[in-house]
Amino acid sequence: MAGALDPKPRDWALALPLAAFFALFFIAPLGLLVAISFETERQMTGTLGLGQYAAFLSDGLNLAVLRDTLLVGAKATLLCLLFGYPLAWLCTKVSARWQAVLIFLVVLPIVTSVVVRTFAWIVILGRHGIVNETILALGLSAQPLKLLFSETGVVIVLAQVQMPLMVLPLITTLQRIDPNLESASRALGAGAWRTFFKVTLPLSLPGIIAGTILTYTACVTAFVTQSLIGGSRLLFMPMMIFQQAMDLQNWPFAAAVSVIFMVSVLLIVAMLVALSRSRAARLYG
Amino acid sequence: MTFEMSRRAFLASATAAAGLAFAPRGAFAADELVAATFGGTWANVQKQILAPYFVKRTGASVVQSPMLATEQIAKLTAAKGNQPPFDVAMLDEGPALEAIDAGLIAKYDPAKSPNFAALNPKFQGAYGPAITMQAIGIAYNPKTVKTPPTSWDDLWKPEYKGRVGITSLASTLGLAFLLDINRLAGGTEANMEPGFKKLKTLLPNLAAVSANFGAHGALFQQGEIDIGVQNFNFAEELKAKGVPIEFVRVDTGTPAWKTTMHIVAGALKPELAYAYVDSQISPDVQSEMQKSPWNVIPTSSKVPYAGLVAEKIAKTPADLDKMVFFDWAKVNQNRAAWTQQFNRDIRV
Repeated sequence: MAGALDPKPRDWALALPLAAFFALFFIAPLGLLVAISFETERQMTGTLGLGQYAAFLSDGLNLAVLRDTLLVGAKATLLCLLFGYPLAWLCTKVSARWQAVLIFLVVLPIVTSVVVRTFAWIVILGRHGIVNETILALGLSAQPLKLLFSETGVVIVLAQVQMPLMVLPLITTLQRIDPNLESASRALGAGAWRTFFKVTLPLSLPGIIAGTILTYTACVTAFVTQSLIGGSRLLFMPMMIFQQAMDLQNWPFAAAVSVIFMVSVLLIVAMLVALSRSRAARLYG
Repeated sequence: MTFEMSRRAFLASATAAAGLAFAPRGAFAADELVAATFGGTWANVQKQILAPYFVKRTGASVVQSPMLATEQIAKLTAAKGNQPPFDVAMLDEGPALEAIDAGLIAKYDPAKSPNFAALNPKFQGAYGPAITMQAIGIAYNPKTVKTPPTSWDDLWKPEYKGRVGITSLASTLGLAFLLDINRLAGGTEANMEPGFKKLKTLLPNLAAVSANFGAHGALFQQGEIDIGVQNFNFAEELKAKGVPIEFVRVDTGTPAWKTTMHIVAGALKPELAYAYVDSQISPDVQSEMQKSPWNVIPTSSKVPYAGLVAEKIAKTPADLDKMVFFDWAKVNQNRAAWTQQFNRDIRV
């Protein structure tokens, strides 16, 4: 199967403009970032070393911030998956017209700016916001809940803001699953749940992993949402990089923090990719 | 009319269009100045008062780009050796010293600025004039806070548990607050331990520590906090908009700092830049800006204090001298360490 689709040399040429664009505007700045991270002095005097990395790793606070950032991303991604999967599944079951409506609703959040959406969430989650007013009116709590400036709030908002990144790949994968497989499973006596766990879920794994990678990387790097909903008492890596680069003008340290953060996220993405490869190999032979 | 175009012609025009997009700024608008401003109140007041005055005076136009002081420094540093992205910088005292040290802003030539001589001498900076003083105190919601606060200690009152708001050290507001409680606890700019110790005891009362000044203002508006530190101008502007908020000075002396304007080193249009800064320190502009809802404290000796500025901040220039000032050079040396300590101490 692979042989027939092997790209010919001419096909590669089609990717050249984008490659050139990436080399100039992505690879080169990234190289610069890595180079700056080895500067030992804040003034960037040209003395190179690993001092900035040592400074980051030797402070427990920094490591705790890294851990919290990776965890908050995992929580938000899990929430996206839990809410997004049924939605994506529904999208593949309804008529074409309803599907268009649902997909439009899924994509809608991307159409507005993330800053606007986040400020809307501040209004919703605040002490006098819709959620708290409802909870107080229903007598579920005597005091307004602290949703804003809490990790719970950050996870809720991240999940909403990044939901399309989870749902869209899931829809694509679920649509490609041959409906006959589910029918066969049912015909052979498996119940709806068993069919779901034995047939649909394993077959949709590539979509789950693609959605997870997209959502996770977007969640851990969501500077605006994290800092506006979380406030300063919840510190995450993007804010820490901003503090160092902008408030303190310490570019070498900010660069080292960025590199460490990028490598950590890439490691997690690599693990997910490896997982999808091994599953795909088992499923499709 | 036909739209047939040879491939060559298309490529040529596309390249030309791309070239235009990347052309250095100012290549076409020969008389357009780019000036930095702060976000929020400052962007508004300078757009409504300073820009029209400058346009009338010079016949040129101005683009005012709202940026944090630190953001301006980062952009100027990144552009060092090339064309600067803007010609006029607007900074608070701490960042201004950093910009001077890094050679990002030029010495200010009083000969090119007729209004400079009328400034109070302490506002005549060698690298640019102070255009105002920013004074801070306590802002509170009069609907929920019945006894008007008088000192920082009121923020520690048990009845304000979970109702107090401050900002991080990224904002000069948060930094000045920490410096002042440190001073009152017996510390100095060289020894911040008393301040940090005191701050830790405020944690149970904190509803929010805003990541920046902009986010902080919104908290009062939404009833997220009832009491907290705030800039005089900003509190009064919110009040004029109908937000239930009152500003009071603290009885231990009002912490204040200068906000300055500068000609960027290697400015593309130095003449216009001087005209712009000089407009900002002109008596006309400053007396306009002193009116409500702006209440910008004037620095020109030709503008007597009036309105809320006279009522709440200073009646005479001598009153300004009684305010509390900090050693920003020392602050700059230690800010990195304090930021890390602040992150550590306020972490949930």
